[in-house]
Amino acid sequence: MNNGRAVVLVVEDNAIIRMGAVDLVISAGYEALEACDADEAIRIMESRDDIDLVFTDVQMPGTMDGIKLCHYISQGWPPVKLIVASGNAILEESSLPGGSMFFSKPYHDHTIKDAMARLLSSKA
Amino acid sequence: MSTKPTVHIEAASTLAVVISSNEPLLLLSDDLKVIAASASFCRVFSIDPAAIPGKRLGELGNGEWAMPTLASLLKATASGKAQIEAYEIDLKRSNQKTRQLVVNACTLDDGDMDNIRLLLAVSDVTDARAETRLKDDLVRDKALLMQEVQHRVANSLQIIASVLMQSARRVQSEEARGHLQNAHHRVMSIAALQRQLSISEGGNVKLRPYLTQLSQSLGASMIPDPDRLSITVTVDDSAVGADVSVSLGLIVTELVINALKHAFPDQATGMILIDYRSSGTDWTLSVTDNGIGMPAGIDAPKAGLGSGIVEALARNLLSDIQSTNTDPGTAVTISHRGNAGVQADLPTAA
Repeated sequence: MNNGRAVVLVVEDNAIIRMGAVDLVISAGYEALEACDADEAIRIMESRDDIDLVFTDVQMPGTMDGIKLCHYISQGWPPVKLIVASGNAILEESSLPGGSMFFSKPYHDHTIKDAMARLLSSKA
Repeated sequence: MSTKPTVHIEAASTLAVVISSNEPLLLLSDDLKVIAASASFCRVFSIDPAAIPGKRLGELGNGEWAMPTLASLLKATASGKAQIEAYEIDLKRSNQKTRQLVVNACTLDDGDMDNIRLLLAVSDVTDARAETRLKDDLVRDKALLMQEVQHRVANSLQIIASVLMQSARRVQSEEARGHLQNAHHRVMSIAALQRQLSISEGGNVKLRPYLTQLSQSLGASMIPDPDRLSITVTVDDSAVGADVSVSLGLIVTELVINALKHAFPDQATGMILIDYRSSGTDWTLSVTDNGIGMPAGIDAPKAGLGSGIVEALARNLLSDIQSTNTDPGTAVTISHRGNAGVQADLPTAA
């Protein structure tokens, strides 16, 4: 939370999709941060303590994919909410930490906004 | 007068059968001495036929057949304690690749209990196994490749959807925003099809889950208050080819967008029904609303891109479009009769 606004970190390697996701986070009234892979996301997570939600892609270059990143975050920062989007239509929900939400790409901005609102309104 | 010849005549015919066998065969005594080897055995396992007489199994070639487990199994077979059926064993020869063998052995039941003979059949399955493995690898590679392609398509559609939504948020004119949002709905309609194709088998798309997902997608982005407007889908068990399904999906997209935009300007509640049913090669798709109905005469709206798309796709499917005033509301029905042509015949699956 920053000045009463929820802070959302977008993790996505594709620049245009990342731009769109940041735009959607801002239009939903949240503060947006962005990372192009899991390593950058972890650096940002470690550098600040006001991140409420991470919205991540699955397939990304770097040492971790989005699923591993979610597990890493849920262990290191248990209160942080997680939303995962992937081009793979079917993803084992069980492969994600409990409480996180999965959407297949292309996602509807509305659907992601609703999911963010729902996750951010519930207390960890 | 001799009393022995019958045994030798039988043996001679047995020898002839063994030697001419296409499948590699060995005829062995109970102490594993080679009585005869088929020409195919000598050829496949590079054994000189002239060197065989008097040899034991373990002495063939460079001694590569001296396999203790095989020998003990053969002895057990000779004594009637066991039978070798499809026993797998590796043939190892120096400077050659190991061959995978499948061996079968049985005793010859000729009533001569004093001279037990074993018939050993040896199949080299190395190449067949390698071929099976290659096929399995190809099937797996193909599945991986398909997954990769689907992943890329989904990502590309996400790029297009992201750009359209960003433009829609930035543009000042309401009309331009509407056009951009419609373009976004059309992209999402193709995406819903893509998702169904990725889980379909044999390239046929089941219409019920596809049109249900499509209506949910349209509702999610176009209906701000689901308590006020709803979309219902009633579709039979039809499955159609990818080409036909993309046309049906786009027709539904256009008709639903149109109904949501124009049919319920002030209504407290409203409902849109998407219905598809087929019988043999006949099928009917209809989108019905219970809204204000179509204005007629000078109030009739000018045909836009949406109706152009519906007309073009319906024509392509060799089907007729009919709009009726259902009072209240409007029904647009696209129907195809099997005798209208074979090009758009829809395969149906129960």
